[in-house]
Amino acid sequence: MLNRKDFLKTSALGLGAMALAPSFDQLFAAPHSQAVPKRFIFIRKSSGIRPLEMALRSFSDSDKALDEKKQPFAVSLDKHELPKWLRGLDAHKEHMTILQGLSAKMSENVHWSFSSVMGCFKSNRNTLSAIKRATVDFELARLFPSPFGHVELSFAGGRTGIVDGYSAPAPQTRNYCYADPETARNELFKSVLNPDAVNSDNDMLSFLQTKEGLKVGSIKGHERQRQELQINSIDAIRQRNSELIKLSGSLAEFLPELDPVHADGGPNASTPEKQAAMTEVLIAALKAGLTNVVTYTIDDLGTPITGLPGNETDRVGIHPLGHDEAFGGVPAWKTREQIRISHVNQIKSIVEALQQVPEGNGTMFDNTMIMYFPENGETHHGIGSESPFLIMAGNNCNLNISGRYVRLPYHGNEGHQTLGNWYTTLLNSHGNPIKHYGDLDPEMSRKKLPQTGSIKQLMG
Amino acid sequence: MLLRFLAFSIAVSFPASARADDNFKIPSDVSQVLGQRCLDCHSDDSAEGDVRLDAIAALGLEARLDLLNRAQEQLFLERMPPEDEAQPTAVERMRLADWVSIELHKHKASTLEKKLQRPEFANYVDHDKLFSGEFKNLPGFTYDRQWLISEFIFNAKFQRILQGNTRANRKGQKVPVLGSHRFRSFSLTNPFLLPNRSGVRYYADIDLSGGHLSSMLTNAQKTSEFITGHLVKRNAKYLPAITEIMALENGHQATLAVRRQFLEDFIARLCDDSYGRQQAWLLPQFVPVALNEVKALEAGETYKKAPAHVALKLLENLAGEDTVYQVLLNPEHENKSDEDVRELCERTWFYHGDHERDIQGRMTILRDYLPEIRANLEKNRRKFKLRDYQPLDDDEMEIIHATIRKHRKQGDHYAELIDKCMAQWEREFVQERFAAGPPSDEQLRKLVEQLSRLIFERSLDNAETGEYVALTRSYINKLGNLKAVQKLIQTFVLTSEFVYRQEFGSGVPDEHGRRLLSPRDASYAIAYALTDQSPDEVLVEAAESGQLNTREDYKREVMRILKSRDVYYLIDPILEDKNYPDNTTDTAIRKLRFVREFFGYPKAITIFKDEKRFGGDRLGNATARLLSETDRIVEYILEKDQNVFEELLTTEDFFVYHDGDNTRMQAASDRIKRIYSHFKDLDWQNFKKEDLLKHQEFLKEVKMRSVDPDKLDARNRQGTTIQLFKKSMTTITARLDKGQMEAAPYDLYRGYGNDFMSGYNVARFFNLQLDHWDYQTKQPAKVANRKGLLTHPAWLIAHAKNTETDPVNRGKWVREKLLAGTIPDVPITVDAAIPEDHLRTLRERLASATETNYCWKCHQYMNPLGYAFEAYDDFGRYRLEESLEHPDNLIQKGPEQRGDHLVDTQDIYRTRAIDTTGYLDGTGDDSLDGEVRGAIDMAQRLAKSRRVRQSIIRYAFRYFMGRNETLSDSKALIDAEQAYVDSDGSFDAVIVSLLTSDSFIFRKTITD
Repeated sequence: MLNRKDFLKTSALGLGAMALAPSFDQLFAAPHSQAVPKRFIFIRKSSGIRPLEMALRSFSDSDKALDEKKQPFAVSLDKHELPKWLRGLDAHKEHMTILQGLSAKMSENVHWSFSSVMGCFKSNRNTLSAIKRATVDFELARLFPSPFGHVELSFAGGRTGIVDGYSAPAPQTRNYCYADPETARNELFKSVLNPDAVNSDNDMLSFLQTKEGLKVGSIKGHERQRQELQINSIDAIRQRNSELIKLSGSLAEFLPELDPVHADGGPNASTPEKQAAMTEVLIAALKAGLTNVVTYTIDDLGTPITGLPGNETDRVGIHPLGHDEAFGGVPAWKTREQIRISHVNQIKSIVEALQQVPEGNGTMFDNTMIMYFPENGETHHGIGSESPFLIMAGNNCNLNISGRYVRLPYHGNEGHQTLGNWYTTLLNSHGNPIKHYGDLDPEMSRKKLPQTGSIKQLMG
Repeated sequence: MLLRFLAFSIAVSFPASARADDNFKIPSDVSQVLGQRCLDCHSDDSAEGDVRLDAIAALGLEARLDLLNRAQEQLFLERMPPEDEAQPTAVERMRLADWVSIELHKHKASTLEKKLQRPEFANYVDHDKLFSGEFKNLPGFTYDRQWLISEFIFNAKFQRILQGNTRANRKGQKVPVLGSHRFRSFSLTNPFLLPNRSGVRYYADIDLSGGHLSSMLTNAQKTSEFITGHLVKRNAKYLPAITEIMALENGHQATLAVRRQFLEDFIARLCDDSYGRQQAWLLPQFVPVALNEVKALEAGETYKKAPAHVALKLLENLAGEDTVYQVLLNPEHENKSDEDVRELCERTWFYHGDHERDIQGRMTILRDYLPEIRANLEKNRRKFKLRDYQPLDDDEMEIIHATIRKHRKQGDHYAELIDKCMAQWEREFVQERFAAGPPSDEQLRKLVEQLSRLIFERSLDNAETGEYVALTRSYINKLGNLKAVQKLIQTFVLTSEFVYRQEFGSGVPDEHGRRLLSPRDASYAIAYALTDQSPDEVLVEAAESGQLNTREDYKREVMRILKSRDVYYLIDPILEDKNYPDNTTDTAIRKLRFVREFFGYPKAITIFKDEKRFGGDRLGNATARLLSETDRIVEYILEKDQNVFEELLTTEDFFVYHDGDNTRMQAASDRIKRIYSHFKDLDWQNFKKEDLLKHQEFLKEVKMRSVDPDKLDARNRQGTTIQLFKKSMTTITARLDKGQMEAAPYDLYRGYGNDFMSGYNVARFFNLQLDHWDYQTKQPAKVANRKGLLTHPAWLIAHAKNTETDPVNRGKWVREKLLAGTIPDVPITVDAAIPEDHLRTLRERLASATETNYCWKCHQYMNPLGYAFEAYDDFGRYRLEESLEHPDNLIQKGPEQRGDHLVDTQDIYRTRAIDTTGYLDGTGDDSLDGEVRGAIDMAQRLAKSRRVRQSIIRYAFRYFMGRNETLSDSKALIDAEQAYVDSDGSFDAVIVSLLTSDSFIFRKTITD
């Protein structure tokens, strides 16, 4: 355990580094830097994941009883059959963790959690001022800089273009995200597809740099340093754009091809097609080294769903499905299962695509963690008492988790772990020594139960 | 003496640098002092704290400067030599400090000087010296500077530029409000957020970084698109140059839009008219879509069809609603069967060329929901209209017909035909624009000038205009007109002038090298000192007409703005996000904000609390109201403007669940009393609908929420009308049947929608039980066990932890904010934690951990002050005993919240008597220092202290100047205090004094 002294020492080092460079340089870095980074993909889904949906059908009677009573235990996945909707990942069980028993009461629940499920605070609907801290994905992105720093993809609300995201780079700050595959591709590979757009930014920045530079001669002392800092900041952005243009040749090899159905936001693309295309862009961005952290809101309650097996000609709504209201003669639970299967298909694509790319002594997947989880807890109207996680992690994962079904003690009991503990585990194991990430759970506090720090049994 | 020397030298000499050669030598007298006073502990390998002074000459430059910086800080803070060691003489101290300072200045490397400019070090400037008068003759000034805008100025700038007019409730009235952070229909990222600390949050020491700039890049892009895409089109006077440059293009776009809409609406009819019998042959072969077969359910399987409103929404999202209703509304199809209607719709979509998947989705909905859609049409007859065919003018119709005829091919879907027509017209228009040539220089000059007025609020000189015109021309060559205009807007928004406040002197320097602020900069300095907005018209006029050149000019303008009540300002952005009403003030916002930030009570809303421990639900609403009502108290005190500091510390004027409008509150209470009087003697508990109907006339006159006497069969998610009536009567009765004179005016039961006034649970913070609450309709009013803001729950929560009080922080606040004291940072070797022990109070546990020799050195300055607040728990509730919240101490589990707001849901634990005895020292007044019996006793003493008054004035100085005070600001501080005394405690007088002081109006050029 890191003590306060260690933490402050490390923080001080961080602050020192910040003072030397513009703050966004914490996130940005040149593509293809030498060190092998760790990669994180957060896939958010809506309408909850019911803990029973994650339970293994082949549990022994005693394990089943423990699972149903929410008692802690762990079993190896290799001896068990996965639930039907997870079977797409059968070949990857040794890399899989089913993590049950985390709670998320300190984040927003019920229908939407907005930024809070990845920041562990109450989001007061989706208000900016309620965003208390950088979300965990941005904290991880700081540890593994990349040209884009962090990429957010989202199908929330069925929007297209560049829109507000849910991740937060800093308190009271909202990220932007790409809301359709075509936009994501065009923006991430802009230097390949539209170098003129990058150049026109550079013309503007060049003008600003010259204009600000003219002021330097007439001022002194701190004001001069201040002006120079501004010029350096402009220069840093120009440099980054220039780097991207220079690299456009090598980036071109990763440029994903999209079916014409995705043109103009893809109004006629089916849900599986959209998901597959967005996943393609995600994989391409990782392979090109444009980012090491992706947050992917695969749906929210406003995402239109179409073309699912069994409901091929229907439009279905996730919200009514959550209320067991069904479409096209197909019971709601079956359609919900198909939605989850479509999600698992994306996870499988990512795992298998990254396994094809050599890296170090293994593959890109070895250095990647994929986390699939509900934004709002244990059911459609979750209250955060549980927040099941499906994790896929490669061989070099810093945590000791793979190949297991782990149920942690239930909320409000000794040994219980919250989402904050889980994120602390992620951060601690990757170099951020934070003592505890996120707000504390009120019930655990009231019961005077320990609840800060990482989850020891998962630390590598 | 050392302190005096250092403070003086920092105050008057920074940033002037001393020059000396780089050969490091220790003068013999310094060497002697070091040898006698320091080397005993700081030499050889066993040096204390790993600090070796004997080897300093052998160190490399970087290591040597680091060591000297550490030494300088220790000397300045008088931490070395330790108290129990022999102390150097004053002369020795001065010589040592002098030498360290000179060595550091040689390399411009003093970190202490930089530190002393930071807010957390402000109190290190000797308080007694500042107010002694000894330095009153030092000429006050501020250095020329650029000051990064605050989050509030950012909001105000964009609200102005984007014409984001916001309205809010004030005492039941809708009023326009300045300062909203909601910008139109899109969100901007505010990169200028201020640190979340109490005291003074907005300082001039922050520089623009790449982080700011990268956020501003996106903000600039969004802004430029909104201006060109929306504002310019909505208001021709907004930026007429853009309208002029874009006139031809906009005209073309408008024509294209009209033609497209016309074709989309009437293409079938146009083709019918044009082609008559040929039409059927020209159309593509109709192929109906295949739909999924509905399978029978498996045995035991249940199926709940999604309700019609869901399907209607999906149909709308699929852009199918219009066609369906046009078919259904057409009298020709009045008697068509469902099957015929479906086919008509499908053919319409097919011939138009809609995507097969869209048609499938729509047809599935029509298959499953057509009866419901027909019913919806009947229900909303007024809403849906059959579209009338109205041809465009003859010239347009001729163009349209000609183009259709040119492009129509057999088998074309209508959408393809429309696209071909549109493509031809677009090509023609592009050629027309190309022939018209690029915008003239004159047009571009106008554009640059108008953008400069809008964004910089000034005119450019010829040279600057020329630069921007040339830039715009280069943008046009690469990007075309629209993108070029957008890029120019972005360029303006990204300049340092937009994000920095300019505060530079102008004119001839006086004998001290000081110059008056330039009139324009002065107008901004005054405006931003008191508000977040740019200078108003009067201030602009004063600056432009030479009426902002003297101290009297400043005074006139400052007093005018302070007295003005013409404008409403938003107070709290978090409350705005919560859609909280009454979140505005007509007091100059920065005056009110000073008190908010000084006391730090707004933080209360960000402390995550447990509703179970609170005892009631909707804690968020209650805390929002608590915060807003604290603002109301402050506003009330500032409005009276007498003995303001004393009032803030000892006021008995509180608002509890009250919006400040006594008439409105009385009327609301009267309504509830009337309902109570009317029904109380009846057997309302057993009323049936018919019984309620007998009171129809009364209920029409005296409204009860969700009890509509004309719709007694109505129901909502909370229940039927009769159930809701009984729920309401239950709470009304509880609030009036114990002899209460008035009823809290919240509405009658917990439900959806807007309450009369949310947050009734605010009463719980004040130990008021909802069913024993003798509500005060006339407020502000006295509340038991409260006196001043330091006993207000908002301040107490803000200075507490999530689940317990925080005597250390509460004491630290009093020491630093009211007594101008200093507390060193927690040493990094200390793992500060209060031991758990569920048999002792928090005070007892804290004492056991901190009242040891080592900890007590610092804690003696905090704990005795903080202990006095132990009469209030972490929710700010008054108490005599502390609840020992631990499972082992649980006596009775509280009930769960099940909708009855009168129930207290807290668990009951064993308790232990609290001790609120504290000790006040540092007021500089022996009659005030000494043991205190609790927070109220302490607040009363603090209010009488001159040092407290001076301390608040020091913070006010920092707030309005954006920097720490130095000894050369002594006169400004002394004058401000005198102004306060002379005016019977007017805070306005303090502000006027500060904003007309030399420290504010004079600027000095940084020499290097």
